Amino acid sequence: MSEFVDECRREWRRLGVPDPVASEMAADLTADLEEAEAEGGSPEDVLGNSAFDPRRFAAAWAAARGVTGAPIPERPSPWRAPIAIALAVILGVLTMGAGLALLVGRSGSSIAFATRRIVAVPGPIHLFAPGSGRGVIPGPLGRVLGGTAVTGVDIHPFAWMLFIIGLTGLGVFAFLYWSHGGGPRRYRRRERRQNPSWN
Amino acid sequence: MGQTEGRRSQLLRGVLDLCLLAVMGDGPAYGYEMTKRLRARGLSTVGEGSIYPVLGRLERDRLVETHRAASNGGPPRKYYRLSPEGERALAAGVSEWQAVRDAVDGALGLVKAEVMP
Repeated sequence: MSEFVDECRREWRRLGVPDPVASEMAADLTADLEEAEAEGGSPEDVLGNSAFDPRRFAAAWAAARGVTGAPIPERPSPWRAPIAIALAVILGVLTMGAGLALLVGRSGSSIAFATRRIVAVPGPIHLFAPGSGRGVIPGPLGRVLGGTAVTGVDIHPFAWMLFIIGLTGLGVFAFLYWSHGGGPRRYRRRERRQNPSWN
Repeated sequence: MGQTEGRRSQLLRGVLDLCLLAVMGDGPAYGYEMTKRLRARGLSTVGEGSIYPVLGRLERDRLVETHRAASNGGPPRKYYRLSPEGERALAAGVSEWQAVRDAVDGALGLVKAEVMP
């Protein structure tokens, strides 16, 4: 019972109903519900089917009384959008990069070999040593390794993994965005809630 | 909700304001007390809505006056009573309802005569 009234209060707060008016309505509602309960009745005896939809009930009552102020929009916090955009960009770059690596790897170009094997040899930078099919680690590290044919990590599986993770992440991100964050359905729901066409 | 109950609820919704004004004619009452008065007059179902939004609209339209007073052993309640405008609105509404009811009776009477001669 108090949960129903609490939910009503939250809705009234969101709709900008002045606190004294909201307190008055909540007190009247609580008293009526308690009286019904004391007589062996249920909330439905007082509220009808509204007992199952406190937010709609609260909005309808406040609108009927003409006590709604400017509704407080359910906007996400200001940092949420930039974080979401950054996350989407990272996921996109990750997916595209991994996809590109896989595509080029399949075509058998030097880049593909370079991404497959990184070998340390002395000398300058030759990431894509022509004809060798190997990438090389230059400079001091290369000298320390002294030309030993250190087999690099085969990143093909990593590329697949990153591609799948990126794609899945983008899918999850898109789903969350449309179902919770900012799809058109969200705005339609909000409009319906703020303009109840009932009673 | 069955079809019959659904229709009754729809019909009641159209005249619930009049019914509330009518039961206030018995004396000032708070919200749940009016629900009980309606029930005593045979309107046992509040149906899809509840009386509170309707009471809110009546108050906003100044068809009722309100005051707070202690109830029987309970917390202070908001009591509603008819305002002069409310009495006029009730009288006009009753006339309107009777006209609609007579017209519907006429239409349904024809159907009854056709279906069950």
